Amino acid sequence: MKRSKRFEKLEKMPINQDGFAYEWEEAGLVAMDSPYDPLPGVKVENGVIVEMDGIRREDFDSLDRYIADYGIDAAAAEASMAIDSLEIAKMLVDINVPREEIVRICCGCTPAKLVEIVRHLNVVEIMMAQMKMRTRKTPANQAHATNLDDNPVLIAADAAEEAARGFAELETTCALARYAPFNAMALMIGAQAGRAGVLNQCSMEEATELALGMRGFTSYAETLSVYGTETVLIDGGDTAYSKAFLASAYASRGIKIRYTSGTGSEVLMGNAERKSMLYLEARCLLLTRACGVQGVQNGSINAIPLVAAVPDGFRAIAAENLMASMLNIEVASGNDTAFTHSDFRRGAKLMMQFMPGTDYVTSGYGGIPNFDNVFAGSNQDCDDYDDWYTLQRDMRVDGGIHPITEEEALAVRSRAAKAMQAVFSGLGLPEISDEEVEAAAYAYSYKDMPARNKAKDMKAAENMMERGITAIDIIKILFESGFEDIAENVMNLLKQRVTGDYLHTASFLDENFKVHSAVNDRNDYMGPGTGYRLSGERWEKLKEKTNALRPQDI
Amino acid sequence: MVKLDADKDYPLFEKHPEYIRTFTGKSLDDISIDNIKSGMLTADDCRISPETLELQAQIQESFGNPQVAMNFRRAAEMTAIPDERILEIYNAMRPGISTKKELLEIADELEREYSAKMNAQLIREAAEVYEKRDMLRRKND
Repeated sequence: MKRSKRFEKLEKMPINQDGFAYEWEEAGLVAMDSPYDPLPGVKVENGVIVEMDGIRREDFDSLDRYIADYGIDAAAAEASMAIDSLEIAKMLVDINVPREEIVRICCGCTPAKLVEIVRHLNVVEIMMAQMKMRTRKTPANQAHATNLDDNPVLIAADAAEEAARGFAELETTCALARYAPFNAMALMIGAQAGRAGVLNQCSMEEATELALGMRGFTSYAETLSVYGTETVLIDGGDTAYSKAFLASAYASRGIKIRYTSGTGSEVLMGNAERKSMLYLEARCLLLTRACGVQGVQNGSINAIPLVAAVPDGFRAIAAENLMASMLNIEVASGNDTAFTHSDFRRGAKLMMQFMPGTDYVTSGYGGIPNFDNVFAGSNQDCDDYDDWYTLQRDMRVDGGIHPITEEEALAVRSRAAKAMQAVFSGLGLPEISDEEVEAAAYAYSYKDMPARNKAKDMKAAENMMERGITAIDIIKILFESGFEDIAENVMNLLKQRVTGDYLHTASFLDENFKVHSAVNDRNDYMGPGTGYRLSGERWEKLKEKTNALRPQDI
Repeated sequence: MVKLDADKDYPLFEKHPEYIRTFTGKSLDDISIDNIKSGMLTADDCRISPETLELQAQIQESFGNPQVAMNFRRAAEMTAIPDERILEIYNAMRPGISTKKELLEIADELEREYSAKMNAQLIREAAEVYEKRDMLRRKND
């Protein structure tokens, strides 16, 4: 065939380097509507759910049972299930129906019912409902800080810059697991150097992650994965009961947690039991509620290339974020994994959470170049800051971060690196040279950093844990080396940890360590003129653009 | 004591700092740079107490999340369990790791050693469900 020059060009566009597939229900490769999804239904006898979505109690698997016994409000179940799903869908977009009333109804719904409700909504309605249903009034955002070399000085500098840009939570992990204590400590020091009160986590396997938290190096954790089928949950090394126990273990040490779930993970793990991705996610969310976990990181997360490959994928992802909010669960709404070659497409995906606002608009904006992102790359990275800020300015939307000047960035990066130098010296860890401090302040990526002796670092990190070093030792050194403000910030985090206010739904701490959560910053959206409105000082801040003309320039 | 209310009493840090005692009975004011410098403050002094977790459970209860309240109450019980033992028990609860007898022994231990009734109940229930769903360790393994 003689080729059309236009079609030839189109074939080469970035979008056509993405992978696509049609639905395959038998494999569970279907976004939100499988013919094998059960029909909603519930039977309650003597306050106990004896039948759920067509399965009788004696046939429940362990996940069904945990959800039925703890996740669903049995007293409300029959009344909630009796309301037509279309009616509940209409309530979600009705500005006259308060959020609390919908939460009460949804907490009596089964997984199949929740899915049936959101299936009635188109994407704009989902976004409308998301704006109204997210738990916290003020939106916030989270960033990743990692690098391929696990360079701790660079992590501290990156964390400081991200904190200064307004991210309320920071997350790191390691290329090499033995670096974990350094990365966690670097993230904490950097965060507190950038902006007081920023929460931080280091994503590792459970034992390490819990140990770092217990030492006071981290304040929250989110990579506690749950799945929507019993088989996959077991393959992931857990049960509903072990996960519930682990959740309480973190709370017992004053550490905030959220679970991680997301559409597509069960297909990826090879056992979706022919159910739609969204139905399985509804089970994950009810499991989260059943375990008493305040929040979830969902929105497909790692499986997004798969979900984005099938029709209705983005809509399913927006719907799963919404379902979390309907159950009064904090949602940190993904946008944290690179999944497309098309800038057009990744921007459009983001808009579905960016415009309505969620509790954490991303669960990992890459505040570093994507090649340095040890979480395999985010949907946005440090090259996208000005795009993000401009969109906030264009649409008068608060995406949780704000512009800073180059001078501000350099100042906090340099200070964080110097604080790290002092702490390493005070703890007798391998020296951080002045050259490294200077490089970290100005660096783009790990390539700009002088190489460290990794073997020596990892040995020292291990030794630091064996010596029983905790946040208290770090505070002391910071204070004695002239970083009094950072020392006080780290100490104030410890005060929050013994108070536990940030364990509540959708928390973040502001620069005065005042907690903002769904409990004291409730989303009261009831239509125009209500809810979160971007105005005053905050709007002035988000308008800032160094290369925008002022009247006097013309 | 009157139960705390989400609207009136939260956040505790601002509204009721006087209610807060750490795991070792220190007050919030005891967590100070001076005490850190003089070596008067240990890591245990900066741990949350079961009493504080109970107060936070009451807040979640009045906020309409009884499940989160239950989580905080299980956590309150766990403050008494050492870090290593918590991780061992968590591992024992993973699928295919323990026999029913082993799980029931852990439940008894939690009740006996730490008065952790809710956690003991969770593990007993797990033992029953694991048996039914073939999630216990096979005896000969």
